[in-house]
This record gives sequence, C-alpha cells and structure tokens, in this order.
Amino acid sequence: MLALRLARGARPAVQLRRFLVAAASAGTGFLLLCTLGFAMGHPHESSGAVTRLAWCLAPLAATVQFAVAVARTDPATRPRPGLFAIGLGPARLMLLAAISTAVSCTLGSLIALLCVLHLRGDLNGLPFDGEASELLAGNQPLPLAATITLLALVPIAASVASALSLRPRGGRQSGARTTFGTGTQAGATEAGGSAPGDARPDAPGPPEHPYLAPGPTPTGLPWGVAVLTAGLAVETYASRSGPASGPALPGFHAGGSAGVLIGWALTTLGLAMAGPALTHLSGRLLQAVRPGAVRLLAGRILMEEAGRIGRPLGVVCAVASGAYAMAALYADARPEIGPLTVLGLLIVAGCAVGTLLTAAVEARQDRADTTAALLGLGTPATLLRGAAALRAGALLAVLGPLTWAIAGLAAVPLTD
Amino acid sequence: MVAPPDNDVLWARALHVKHNGSPALSGVSLGVRVGEILAVGGPRGSGKTTLLRCLSGQLLPQQGEVWFNSTPVHTMGPHARERLRRDRFGWIDPAPVLVPELNAWENAALPLMLRGVRRRQARTTALEWLERLDIGGCARRRPYALLQAERQRVAIARALVPAPTVLFADEPTAPLHRVDRANVLRTLTTAARSHGITVVLATHDADTAALADRRVSLLDGRRVNTVNLPPAAETESEGRAACSLSA
Repeated sequence: MLALRLARGARPAVQLRRFLVAAASAGTGFLLLCTLGFAMGHPHESSGAVTRLAWCLAPLAATVQFAVAVARTDPATRPRPGLFAIGLGPARLMLLAAISTAVSCTLGSLIALLCVLHLRGDLNGLPFDGEASELLAGNQPLPLAATITLLALVPIAASVASALSLRPRGGRQSGARTTFGTGTQAGATEAGGSAPGDARPDAPGPPEHPYLAPGPTPTGLPWGVAVLTAGLAVETYASRSGPASGPALPGFHAGGSAGVLIGWALTTLGLAMAGPALTHLSGRLLQAVRPGAVRLLAGRILMEEAGRIGRPLGVVCAVASGAYAMAALYADARPEIGPLTVLGLLIVAGCAVGTLLTAAVEARQDRADTTAALLGLGTPATLLRGAAALRAGALLAVLGPLTWAIAGLAAVPLTD
Repeated sequence: MVAPPDNDVLWARALHVKHNGSPALSGVSLGVRVGEILAVGGPRGSGKTTLLRCLSGQLLPQQGEVWFNSTPVHTMGPHARERLRRDRFGWIDPAPVLVPELNAWENAALPLMLRGVRRRQARTTALEWLERLDIGGCARRRPYALLQAERQRVAIARALVPAPTVLFADEPTAPLHRVDRANVLRTLTTAARSHGITVVLATHDADTAALADRRVSLLDGRRVNTVNLPPAAETESEGRAACSLSA
C-alpha cells in the first residue's frame, strides 16, 4: 500500500519515467506474445519460433536495465533520514522498489495482452479489430499458462533485478575510508579493518559526513578491448567461411552465419564493458593540463561519475554500433524489415538512451548538495551549465569516433 | 527611504521574513561597522541563519531593507546578488560543504578561479592560506581523507582566500569538539583582524561570542538585549505534578 501511496504522490517527471518503463514493458510483452502466436500458427517451424524467442531477449534485457535505472532514481525508494529513523531502512526500501517496478511492468504487460487480444479479434468494436489474426493465430484459443508465463517474465525479471541492485550492502559503506585513516597505507588498512570507534551507518550518513571515498578507478578497459577484438576476429573468421544458414533476424531472409552473430555480440559486449573506463579517461583528459574552474569541475565530476554514467553509455555505444552494422548488413533487404523488428529495435534503442538519461538524472540528484554549495559561493549557473555541456562534449568527442570506427570494422566482414 | 550611516558596511532595517508562512524574522534592524567582528547570538531557531542569509543576499526579505556600502541589496536582481556574493562576501557553513571531487587546495582556490584569477596565482594564494590555518600538510588530500576539523579549516580558507569585504560565519564551530572549536575560532578571528575583514558570526555559544567586538542577540526572530529564558526545572516539575495520576 505504501508503494502505491508513494507512487500516487510523485512528481510528473517521476511518473513519466514510470510510464516509459510501462511502455517498454508493454512492447516487450507484445513481442513475446507475437512469438507465441507465431509458434501456434506454425507448429512445424519450431526452430523459427525459437529463433524469434531468442531475439526477444534483447528487448527484454534492455527493458530490465531501464526499469532498474528508473527504480534507482525513484525518489520513493531513496533512503531518507526521517524514514530511516522510524525503521524504514534499506531492506524495506528494496522491497518498495521491487513492488513499484512490478506495478509499472505489470501495467505494461496488461496493455500488451489487451493489444494482442484486440489484434486477434477477441475484443470487438475498435479499429484494427482482428487485423493480425492470422499472424497471432486468431483461430486458436490463446493458451492461458503460456500467456501468463510470458507476460510475467518482464515484471519478475525487472523486480528481481531492481531489488538486487538496491539490496543493502555493508561493503559499499565500509569500503569508504573513514576519518580515522591518516592517508598512509597503514592508517587506511587499520581503519578499513575494525577500528573500535568506527561508526558505519548503513544509510547515507547525516549531512555532516557526506564525504565517501571515491570508487575504484574503472579497470574494464583491457577486458573490454580484449572482448571487442575477439568479437571482430570471430566475425572476420566466420564471414570467410561463406554465408551459411543461421539464426537470421525474423523478418529477414538474408541470414548471417552464427559465427558472425556471435562476433557481433562479443563486439557490442566489449564496447559496453569498456564504457566506464573510457568515460574515466575522457574526464582525466578534460582536466589534464592547467585546468581553469570549468574544466576542473567538469573533468573531476566526469571521473567520479564514470562508473554510473559509463556503463549505460557503453550500452548506448554498443547499440549504436550494432544499428550501424545492421544497416550495412541488411541495406539491400530494407523493404523486408517487418513491423515487429522495428518495434524491437525501437525498444532496445529507446531503453538504452532512457537508461543513460536516467543515470544522468541519478548523478545529478546525488550531486545536489555540492551544486547548492557551489551556487552559494556565487558560482554563476552558466558556469555549471557550461561544465555539464563540456562533459557531454568530451564524451561525444571520445566515444563518437570510437563507436563509428568499431561499427565500421564490424560491418566490413558482413558486407563482403 | 533613509540613507544608512556612513561607517556601516552592512545595514539592515526592519527585516521581516517568513518561511512558507512560519515567521522567521519579525522586524530586525542591524548595523555592521567596518572591520568589526559582530556576534549574532541566540538559541536555536531564533533566526540567526535567516538573518545572515538575508544580509549576504542569499535570501530576499519580504519586507525591510539591506544596504551594503550604500548600495541597496534588497532591490538587486539574482545575478547582481550572485556577483556580490562572489566578489565581496565569504560564507562559512555550519558543516564544511566542500566539493568532494577536488582536493584541499583546489577547494580553497575555487573562489579565485571562479573570479578568473590564473591557476598558478590562485594556487599560491590558496596554499598560503592553508599554511596559515595549519593544514598545509593536507593540501593534496581529497575531503574524504580529512578530519572534520581539517575540512572546516579548508572551508574557512576557501572563504578567506578571495579576501572578502564581509565574512559570514554561520555557527562555524557547531560540529567540532571544544579543542578544535577554540583553534578554529582563534584562527578565524586572527585572520579577520589582521586582514581587516568584517565578520558576522552567528553562534549560540557564549564562549564563542566572547571573542567578538560586539554582540547582538535574537530571540524568536526579534532583536533583544538579553536572552533570559524562564528556568526550565520548575515548569518541568509542575508539568509532572499535573500529569501524575497518583498525586
């Protein structure tokens, strides 16, 4: 009940984010039900149906990632000192986040179910009634268990993921160097061990101790580069052995081989893994030589936020490079792109961009105190906006050409 | 509109402030002379912070006037007040609010950099002030690695570095222990006196107020001459007697 009460009283921006989660969940649920309809209508093409189901994993993963990002920024699930004092601590807030995520996603699933029923012709009296009855096997009754299983997939996955991402962790706070550390290695380990007077709150501390140790420098760059190059190598190797029949994108008749797709997936994964380190690198470059106030603030903040911003940014780059490679691969087959493929692509791209924007909002919420302090010093708001623009520009300058180059490299073996 | 006296650097007349309807200041008038250290006393909730925020142009009073060096602050737009805060005023919060991404000297040099001073010069000045406040050794450390007293000194250095005309200190020693408190206050007052900086110091502590040249007391948003509250012990025993069922 508390989750619903808090959901009702939220601001429009928060409601919009929840609505977007519901929309993404609806799209994914619709794709899953369409797969079910295809399987019912074509009982002899089981491999085709499995391929379609496997392709639904990408929108599913994107939706879950977006739902987790939204749950993390939701003001209702942020720890608040007042609620913490009356016993609504991290454990309860985790539950609250899971419930509100489940509510949004279930709403989306219900919308998807209504759409499918309507397009099958089961609900009458509206336009497009029964338009897709043959695609969705309108002549057969919808199996109840399969429908419920498929529709419950998104809410359950999203709730579990958001609960896991918001679970109370002792490690995060105890990793913070306390004020007892003297800066030397010995002092740090002593404080990090079990200093007797070391208070470790499991909620964000009172306002006089907001200084947590910075997170570790992202080290994903070697791994990301390794995975990325492995992906490119696999792709090139697979494309040399000639086109073979493999898991093609539904709606396409031109199929790439399995090796090419594996290589492609590895490339995008490597890009996503290298995201945080690349973001950190951009920040480091930004504040490198004799920085003034703007470059100093922009670069240091980017370095600090690398973990939070970098991962969704890497995913966006991966999606962009994948989209580029796909456009190159299926350039001649464009008229055959089906509406369901377009829907899936839209969900993946929209969720990736939405996750990035939501992560940016989360970072801004976390920095609200510092921003207020800077404004109190008389920092012009234009300077802060300039710093934000500089951050965005630096990220674009570093990651844009990189994504473009990788997408080009990934597309080379595909188009041969 | 009456022009303020000439020797007052800051002058406020009949300030009325309400926070969302709840009264914070009702008719406070005040003059701050050049180079003096003025303590604004009074218990918690008496409107000290609100008064300082009004005087420093962070908050516009609903009624009343604030003049700085014969310039009306209460009629300025937000940009002009922002520039005034940046160029003329310094501000110290009760708890040190530093930028966590920057190290100690960068935090202290930030106001100078915001004014467009070159990096090398800003750095030299900031390091000098950190030395004067006995924290030259941790100039390269980030705020998370500093003790609370050291952070507060960095915040004081940040307020003093641009050599402000007026320094507002809102309970600068509230989160500190007594030893640190005395140290921090001594450094603050010494620095202000040696550089001719006017200080407006909000405090509810009589020892702290004793370091000031002059003292002004607030009680429930009004200016009073003495803060004499009725003794609490009697009222408590009365209340207990009234509530007790066995009596």
